Amino acid sequence: MPATKTIAIIGATGSMGSAIAKSLSGSSNRVLLFARDIEKLTSLLEEIKEVHPNGDVEIIGCPTDACWEADIIIPAVPFGAENEVAEKIRTVATGKIVISISNPLNDAYNGLVTTPDTSAAEELQKLLPYSKVIKAFNTSFAASFTNPVIDGKIANVFIAGNDEESLETVSELVKISGFNPIIAGGLPVSRTLENMQLLLISLGRKYNYNGLAGWKILHN
Amino acid sequence: MYEVFFKKVNEKVNLTSEEEDICKSFLVPKKVRKKQYILQEGDVCKYSAFVEKGALRSYTVDERGHEHIVQFAIEGWWISDMYSFITGEPSVYNIDVLEDAELLLLSNPSQEELLQKVPKFERYQRLLVQGAYIALQRRLVLSLSQSAEEKYTKLTNTYPDIIQRVPQHMIASYLGITPETLSRIRRQISDRK
Repeated sequence: MPATKTIAIIGATGSMGSAIAKSLSGSSNRVLLFARDIEKLTSLLEEIKEVHPNGDVEIIGCPTDACWEADIIIPAVPFGAENEVAEKIRTVATGKIVISISNPLNDAYNGLVTTPDTSAAEELQKLLPYSKVIKAFNTSFAASFTNPVIDGKIANVFIAGNDEESLETVSELVKISGFNPIIAGGLPVSRTLENMQLLLISLGRKYNYNGLAGWKILHN
Repeated sequence: MYEVFFKKVNEKVNLTSEEEDICKSFLVPKKVRKKQYILQEGDVCKYSAFVEKGALRSYTVDERGHEHIVQFAIEGWWISDMYSFITGEPSVYNIDVLEDAELLLLSNPSQEELLQKVPKFERYQRLLVQGAYIALQRRLVLSLSQSAEEKYTKLTNTYPDIIQRVPQHMIASYLGITPETLSRIRRQISDRK
């Protein structure tokens, strides 16, 4: 396959979906956008085209078709909606990278709805048994995609998954979006990553970070 | 999505529905559009592609920038650079899409695993490679010993679909003749009718 990848973003008009769409559209990759609200989607495309007039970005009217064309699939929907998306894309997602960006937060945003022995990423893998599910971007707030430099440092994006080649491919995408990738381990590491974002959200509320916060490993 | 694939495989071996399901778990369904590349020179050919729908070609580009077409692929055919696919070495071929296509991609590791799990697939592949080898020998002899007109006539008789669907300059490139020669041959043939 050529270096150019086709990336399908399902739920592209949400805060995370549109942030990822904007940050990946300036690259050599081809980006396919799907969302239910076609008006919002059209204005997102216009917005992207203004910044990246030569970007290879397109609206696709059906999530199944978008994922059929894709090499990499990003379901940018809340954890609760992943089941429905998985149903629609299962047959065309075989062998493809599916990036799990969600956090299984409860309605009050003060706890996770998953039990400690699993994670949103592992649940998605169960729904898509023949896909290569990779956890990434779940510890990044949508606001940080505009400028991944926080307090003078490039924020980390932690990546977890079981397929070596897919981890490398997703690392490249993370670099394109301006963040600093760290491969954290196998897919079960997602449990920790999802809890990290729960912590960041609760700290953000307590200390008013306004979404301008992220994780960075400090080391010598 | 898999209709042509299982029709073709089951012409050579009979798969049970369980075996068909195993095949499906390894085949990557991929839609591609006209002019997109599925392989570019210098990249490793990671997948062998089965064509469910559409048309593709593989070709090399020489030092003077001329394209030489190695193979066309339409419904029911496989296309790849087998050398690069097996060795992991960079490919010297390009494969691009002539008509919007629906492909089923099989990676080398997936193929190995599939052959373990569905031994019948090995027989299917052997028969496929035998057929391809014979076709390649015939093409070699044809290109060494026959006139341009004989080559063209042979192609139209063997693969009338390809003649219909592929632009003339690509047919010329496949036969190793200039587009002008091809158009003269076509005129001569139609004058004789």
